[in-house]
Amino acid sequence: MIKLFKYAVILFLCSAPSSLYSQNNTNLESNSLVLQQAKELYEELRCLVCQNQSLLESEAPLALDLKELIKEKLKEGKTKKEVKDFLVERYGEFILLLPTLSLQNLFLWIGPFIFLFIGIIFAYKFYTNFNRSSNKTKTLSPSEKKNVQKILDEKLE
Amino acid sequence: MLVELGHFCLALALSVSILQFVLPIIGIKLKSTRALATSTYSSYLFFCLVSFSFISLMWAYISSDFSVALVAQNSHSLKPLIYKVTGVWGNHEGSLMLWILVLSLYSLALSIIGKNIPLKIKSIVLSVQGLIASAFTGFILFTSNPFLRLLPPKLEGEGFNPILQDIGLAIHPPFLYLGYVGLSITFSFSIAALILKQADSIWIKWVRPWAMLSWTFLTIGIALGSWWAYRELGWGGWWFWDPVENASFMPWLAATALLHSSIVAEKRNTLKAWTILLALIAFSFSLLGTFIVRSGVLVSVHAFASDPSRGIYILLMLILFTGGSLALFAKNAPKLKSGNMFSPISREGAIVINNIIFSAAAATVLLGTLYPIFIDALTANKVSVGPPYFESVFIPLMVPAILLCGFSPMLTWKRAVFDNIYERIIFIFIVSILITSFLIYIRNGSAMTFLGIFLSIWLFLGTIYDFFERILRGKSFNEVAKRIVSYPRSAYGMSFAHIGVSIFILGATMSTAYKTEIETSVQIGDKIIVENKELIFESIKQNQGPNWLADVATFRISHNESDISFLYPERRFYPASQINTSEPAILSRLFYDLYIVLGEKDIKNKNFAVRVYYSPLLNFIWIGIAFMAFGGILSLSDKKHRVSYKTLRKNRNLSIK
Amino acid sequence: MKKYYYYIPLITFILLILFFSRQLFLNKDPSHLPSVMLDESFPKLEFNQLEKYNLLTIEDIFSYDKPSLVNVWASWCVPCKIEHANLMLLKNKHSIRIYGINYKDNLKKADEILNLDGNPFYSIGVDSSGRIAINLGVYGVPETFILDRNGKIRYRHVGPILEYDIRETILPILTKLEQDD
Repeated sequence: MIKLFKYAVILFLCSAPSSLYSQNNTNLESNSLVLQQAKELYEELRCLVCQNQSLLESEAPLALDLKELIKEKLKEGKTKKEVKDFLVERYGEFILLLPTLSLQNLFLWIGPFIFLFIGIIFAYKFYTNFNRSSNKTKTLSPSEKKNVQKILDEKLE
Repeated sequence: MLVELGHFCLALALSVSILQFVLPIIGIKLKSTRALATSTYSSYLFFCLVSFSFISLMWAYISSDFSVALVAQNSHSLKPLIYKVTGVWGNHEGSLMLWILVLSLYSLALSIIGKNIPLKIKSIVLSVQGLIASAFTGFILFTSNPFLRLLPPKLEGEGFNPILQDIGLAIHPPFLYLGYVGLSITFSFSIAALILKQADSIWIKWVRPWAMLSWTFLTIGIALGSWWAYRELGWGGWWFWDPVENASFMPWLAATALLHSSIVAEKRNTLKAWTILLALIAFSFSLLGTFIVRSGVLVSVHAFASDPSRGIYILLMLILFTGGSLALFAKNAPKLKSGNMFSPISREGAIVINNIIFSAAAATVLLGTLYPIFIDALTANKVSVGPPYFESVFIPLMVPAILLCGFSPMLTWKRAVFDNIYERIIFIFIVSILITSFLIYIRNGSAMTFLGIFLSIWLFLGTIYDFFERILRGKSFNEVAKRIVSYPRSAYGMSFAHIGVSIFILGATMSTAYKTEIETSVQIGDKIIVENKELIFESIKQNQGPNWLADVATFRISHNESDISFLYPERRFYPASQINTSEPAILSRLFYDLYIVLGEKDIKNKNFAVRVYYSPLLNFIWIGIAFMAFGGILSLSDKKHRVSYKTLRKNRNLSIK
Repeated sequence: MKKYYYYIPLITFILLILFFSRQLFLNKDPSHLPSVMLDESFPKLEFNQLEKYNLLTIEDIFSYDKPSLVNVWASWCVPCKIEHANLMLLKNKHSIRIYGINYKDNLKKADEILNLDGNPFYSIGVDSSGRIAINLGVYGVPETFILDRNGKIRYRHVGPILEYDIRETILPILTKLEQDD
């Protein structure tokens, strides 16, 4: 028990250095902040006239227009969310590459957890079933008796 | 004439594959060994017919026979020979021909290598292969015939898109299909096991190595596709969670779970129902991948022709194979004898967790890929599920798997005593945290970066720690050397594969987190400096292709006054379609990639827009995957897979089970 | 494991197949995108004027008490040329008022085309940057919006209006809108 405690303390101390990490130093100059946010938005928004690309990756005319629009709105001081809302009003949720956390998308977000949960349930049932079957008596069941008889008969043929 | 023969052989092949399917069934019902024995011969014949058919199609491409509609659409007389050849499978019809060719190869291999498999099992397996073959051959003949003629023939082909003339793109389908179709073998064996209600040594002897083989091919195939995308598509990205990519990733995830599970099944004679289910699911994902890519149900960058009638045929195939096999599973799997017991804390227990995580991951990718269709069917709304979703969901799922993988070599079979391993785990954990913290301290990083580097180091240390610990148990140099040599190949395989994963994670993390991107415009003579490398824009010249005009820039790359290399990014203009594309130029070195994309030209100022990406350790991604594939090959070369069937049969008959 | 657990994979699969079949048989084009602005009022946009032509204003739209069309077009757009004749047909034969939005175009060329092939538009608004059209959720050209008598957007047609579309879609919708309220 003491051992466990010792290890826990060591672990805790070891995770302390991880607090040295910091977020990527963004230049506090507002222009590059705008550009940074713009880039993030480009990655999160779909190019509507391409097959499955983000705005960042696309050079289609509509994509270029939208990118300009996004930069302008950010420069005006709008937040990322406001810009996204603006576009969703006009183009629908389809333009968002990261689906919203809405009731409609509930299963999408909860799904992975459900899958994991189902797997864990299966595993649990699996392990408990083991214990049950190893407690079974060692005599043959009627169907097993029939099988033995069949094998013996076949051998005799 | 050759083409007609090829077509005819294909039709014959259909009949043969139907016989391959039907005769064993009759053989079992009527208890006729002769009917059962025909299965091997039909597999030989099917192989010959399909090969001939495929070769005749290939000849049509090589000889630029534009009276064949497919060749006229996809080829061109000026194409280099190698691309004429690989162009055979660069389209829907041709790729299906490749599919059945590979299928026929696998069935042939089964017949030859498995000469001594008991006839009952062998014929059922071949019968299932025959059913799969008939379904696909029928699909080709009735909906996607590559031999259709074009009359009058065109004078020249239309297929001259240079983006598609790339070696990575050209050879990635064969590898991918060797993977997909290989999963049909494990599928067929599992069906046989279910039908006969026994999953014994013969079954497992085939499932493990063939799962491993398919997995290795799939790994290589997916990597080749990614590598092509990285080099050609101009954004420095290598994975886009595009539905077609996901379609190949899902079988890969299932195959990974399958191969781990089959290891347990072989070693401990347990987890058989799980392994069978995974084998059924893995092949189903292969089929599903086919459906998604060809049916027009999804929006994707590189989906093949969207044709609903083809979609319906494939849907029926899915119902038959997946539905049928899962129904068979539901009915017969409970009748399989349950295996040996093991504690949840053991090597088997770890693999059970691995099974769960990888299955959940595959299900999640499936969910994300299909979700737009669900919502559209239910509400007529359109939603997008893109990379941000997949990244935010997939990575957390994988974290526990990697953590587990790090110390799993230390877990013993059946029951692991945690006290023993505890210290080792803590030791590795501490070292990993320290190294990661140090690296993050030098270069600032986010939490995700920290996690990525930590996991990579953790996995690496965990894998080699166990190896060295076992080796160094030898007390003298000779003993240690002996241990190194006698260390089982499959264990080496595992070590290499897991190390490959750690290298991959490091490459993916570093190249994303510390990627430097510069977007600017340059004139001739300008210099761009990135990470102490200098890029000097030296000159620009014009170049012309068959259907494009290009500006080709020359960049001189130097470091500390000495030249490293030259890069020639291009900006192409296709007059016919009025499209501009960029051909990036990449400098690949072990520890970094330098990627230049030439953008729009501003004629007034003689400026060119340029994007430069510097990605550290990007090639660790490919190197890591190469290690993984190598691990798979090592594992396959282990002698245990070469136990003769005669011995197996003897042992089987002896054991009264 | 209880026997019925083994049926779970099969059941899940059956559900999946049902969805696939539905999608397949509905024969939907996955790249078809309905407008999210359906049933919303036409936005209060301000356009520039194309010389010699009436300027499209919001007042026009809201003061007109019959259903109308708003067509987004450009002289460089090939499908627009194809649908031009059909727009003339709708204007002349069916007396439908069509407003035009000229999208990212060269004004001289726009004028030339209208001179050569005829002008189906009651009034025209110029959107040189494409920015105004973004407010309508426009993806490209041509696109046509059907407005009801109250200026609400009731339908968006993407791509050129062909004879088939006039017969099967445009006219039926317009008739229905005229009979409403």
